[in-house]
Amino acid sequence: MLGYPNRGGRVTTTLEELANGRKAKIVRVAGGRGLIYRLYQMGLTPGTEVEVLSNYGRGPIVIRVMGTEVAIGRGVARKILVEPLPE
Amino acid sequence: MDYHNSGNQVESNKRIRVAVVGQPNVGKSTLFNVLTNNKVHVANWPGVTVEKHYGTRRYRDREIEFVDLPGIYGFSSLTLEERIARSYILSGEPDVLLVLVDSLNPERTMYLAVQALELTPNTILVFTKADATHARGIHINYEKLQRKLGVPVVSVSAATGQGIEELLDLIVASAEKEEKKEPIRIDYHELNPYIESIEKILSRYAEVLKYPIRWIAVRLLEGDHELEDYIRKQAGEEVLDEVASIRREAATVLKRDPVEIASIRRFEFISSILGEVVVKTELKHVPVSRLTRLFYNPVIGSLLGIAILALIFTIVFMVNTGFPLNALFEALGYSELATLVEEYSLSGILDYALNELGNVVYDAMGDTMLAHLVVDGILGGVGAVLVFLPLIAIVSLALALLEDSGIAPRIAVGVHNLLAKIGVSGHAVFPITLGLGCNVPAILSTRGLPDPRERLRLILTLPFIPCQARLVVLLALASAFSRYSGGLLLLSGYLISFFVFASVNRVLYEIDRRKGRAITPEMLLEIPPIHRPIPRVIWWLTWNSTKHFLVKAGVIIFSLSIVAWTATSYTFSLTYTSDPSESIAAAIARSFAPLLSPIDLPSTTAWIVSLALIAGFIAKEIIISTLLIATGADSVRNAIELIWLSDAQIASIAMFTVLYVPCLATLAVIHSETKSLKYTLLAVLLMMVIGYASMVVTYWIASAIM
Repeated sequence: MLGYPNRGGRVTTTLEELANGRKAKIVRVAGGRGLIYRLYQMGLTPGTEVEVLSNYGRGPIVIRVMGTEVAIGRGVARKILVEPLPE
Repeated sequence: MDYHNSGNQVESNKRIRVAVVGQPNVGKSTLFNVLTNNKVHVANWPGVTVEKHYGTRRYRDREIEFVDLPGIYGFSSLTLEERIARSYILSGEPDVLLVLVDSLNPERTMYLAVQALELTPNTILVFTKADATHARGIHINYEKLQRKLGVPVVSVSAATGQGIEELLDLIVASAEKEEKKEPIRIDYHELNPYIESIEKILSRYAEVLKYPIRWIAVRLLEGDHELEDYIRKQAGEEVLDEVASIRREAATVLKRDPVEIASIRRFEFISSILGEVVVKTELKHVPVSRLTRLFYNPVIGSLLGIAILALIFTIVFMVNTGFPLNALFEALGYSELATLVEEYSLSGILDYALNELGNVVYDAMGDTMLAHLVVDGILGGVGAVLVFLPLIAIVSLALALLEDSGIAPRIAVGVHNLLAKIGVSGHAVFPITLGLGCNVPAILSTRGLPDPRERLRLILTLPFIPCQARLVVLLALASAFSRYSGGLLLLSGYLISFFVFASVNRVLYEIDRRKGRAITPEMLLEIPPIHRPIPRVIWWLTWNSTKHFLVKAGVIIFSLSIVAWTATSYTFSLTYTSDPSESIAAAIARSFAPLLSPIDLPSTTAWIVSLALIAGFIAKEIIISTLLIATGADSVRNAIELIWLSDAQIASIAMFTVLYVPCLATLAVIHSETKSLKYTLLAVLLMMVIGYASMVVTYWIASAIM
C-alpha cells in the first residue's frame, strides 16, 4: 500500500488504495469547490469513518459512510485522503 | 410546547403553500404522491429546464398547495437544483417548509434539515419510512427531538399512511400560527468570532437584506457566490471586501477551509442531538445486501446489468412487435406461429384497429377529400402516437421498478467501467436504455447527469440509439428481403447503430479531452438499500414519464402528420389530388432524388424512396405509410416489389433509416435541452453525414457479397 507518514506519525493514503473490507478515517478532501461541497454534504467530512465495501482495482469503489452505501469513481477516490484504521 | 392542538382554533378558507424538500432517496416522491393524492402537475421552474411538480389538496376547509423542490444534499447554491430550492424558500412564497429526513439514516439526511432550519423557522421535520424503523431496530424519540429543535417533528409512512393526517394538522397549525420564531443557531465553535464579525458588518444593512443575517454571515464565510452577488447588489463592493478579508483571516488562523469546519460542526450538532433521541438495537443481518454487492464487481456487475436490461427489452420488443419471438419461430420453421405472434403484438393489433376504423370512415363519408384527411392525416397521426404509448408505458414501468427497488443505481455502478471506455459514466446507462424505446425521454433523462460536457455529448449521440419507430421500419423492410433472411438485416441494424453510438461518443470525448474540457467519467452516487417497490410509486413514476412523452412527442408527431398529409395531397396550384406523384411533396422529392444515385435506384421510382426518406425526417414510421401511399401497395413487400429494389438497396436504405435524424420531436428536444441552434444543427449534420456514408458503404458491400 502506498503511504507516507505525516506530522503526527500516522500513515495516510487515498481512499482508492484501500482494500475490500478496510475501514479508515477521512483526513482531508482535495479538489475543486463543487466536489468538496458535494462530498461534505454526503457525509464525507474529515474525521468521519468509512468502510470499503468493494474495491476491485478498477471501476467505482463502493463505501459505507454514515450508514449509506456510496459509489465513488476512482478519480474522486484518489482525492480523498484517509487514515486506515487497524483491522 | 405543543404543536398538535392549535390547528383547530383558527377556521379560515385561505390557501396554504407548502414547499417539500429532501435529500435524494429519502422517499420524497412517494410522500409527495400521497400528500397530493396523485394529482400532480408539472411545470418548469422559471427560466430553467428543471421540472417543478406541484399539487393541491383540500383539508379542513383549507386549500393546501404542495410544491416539490428538487432532491438536493444541501443549500450551498453550487448546483442549479440547490439554487432553485434555496431561492424558492427565501422568496417567502411558501408558508411552511417540510424537510424530509430518512428515519433509517437520520445522521446523514438531517444535514439538509439543519441547513433548512438555519434558513427559516417555519419548518416541519418529517421523518419518512416510519413503518420500517422498528424492523431495523431504530427507535426515535420524536417529542424530545421536537423540544430540542423548537420546530414540529412528525414521523410518517407513505406506504401505510401512518402520520399523514397528523402532518396535515401540523401544516395548518404552522401556517396559521401568529408567533414569530427565529432560525436555529448552530454552535460553530472556532468560527463563531468570524461569523459574529460578519454579522456586525451586515447588521448595518439590516433593512435592505431580506434573509436571516446570521445565515448570510455563515454562508459568506463558507464562500457562497450567489450570496456574494446579492450582497454586492444590496450593500456594495466594499462590504464584500471586508467580508473577504475576514474569510481569509479565518482560513489563515485556523489553517483549514471554513467550509470544512462548518460542515463538520453541523454534523457534530446533528450527532449530539440524535445521540439523545435515537436508540439503535443490534441490526439484523440482511442477506440480500450481500448478494446485491455482486453488482459492484466490474465483470459480474457489467454482465448482470446488461442481462437485466436485455431481458426487459426482449420482453418489450416482443409485446410491441413480436420480435424476436417471430424470428425464432420463423427460423424453426413454424411460420404460422410467427405470423400469429406478429398479428397479436401491440403494433399488429393497433394497425388492425386503425385499418378497420379507416374503413368505417370511408363507408360513412365516401371517397372524399375530408375522408382522406381524417383517415390518412388525423387517424395516421393519432396512430403514430398511439403505437408508442403502450411501449413507452412498458419501458417506463420497467425502469420505475428498477429505480424504486434500488437496483437501478447498482446497474449504473456495474456498467460504469464498460461505459467509461466510450467516455461516459455509469449514469448514462438509463438514457441509453430509454433510447431503445424512444429517443425523446432518453434525451430528457440526461438531466440527471452530473457532468455537463458528458451530458452534451450524450444528447448529440443518443439519436443513434435505434428507437422502436426505427425497429418498426427495420422489420417492415426486412419483410421485403427476397433472397436473404430479414433477421440478418435487423441484427446488423442494431449492431451498426450501437457501433456508431459508441465510436462517435469516443471521438467527441477525445475532442473534449484534447481541448481540456472533458474529465474522466466519474461517479458519485448514493446507493439506497434494496427494497420492495411500492405500487403507488411505480404507477406515479410510470405515468409521469408516459405523460411527458405524450405531451412532447404527441403534439409534434400529430401536427406534423397533418402537414405531411397536406404535402402529399396537394399540388403546387393548391388543388387536391389523390395521386401522390403530382403532389408538392413529390416535386420536392424529385429534386432530392439525385442524392440517392450512389445506390443505383431505378430512375422512374427513385422519387418514391426520396419522398419516404424526407417524410421520415418527421417521424420514422411515416416512411412506411409514405411508401404505401406513393405506390398504392397494400404491404411493404408489395411496395418494394413495385419500386424494383434489390436486397442490397433495401439494406442500404435500412441503414440510412436507422442512423439519420430519428424524428422532429427528437430534434425539438435536443434544441430545448441544449438551448442552442448550433448544437441542434451539429446533431443533424452528424446524423445525416454518418447515415449517408453508411448507406453508400452498405450498398457497396452488400452488392459485392449478395
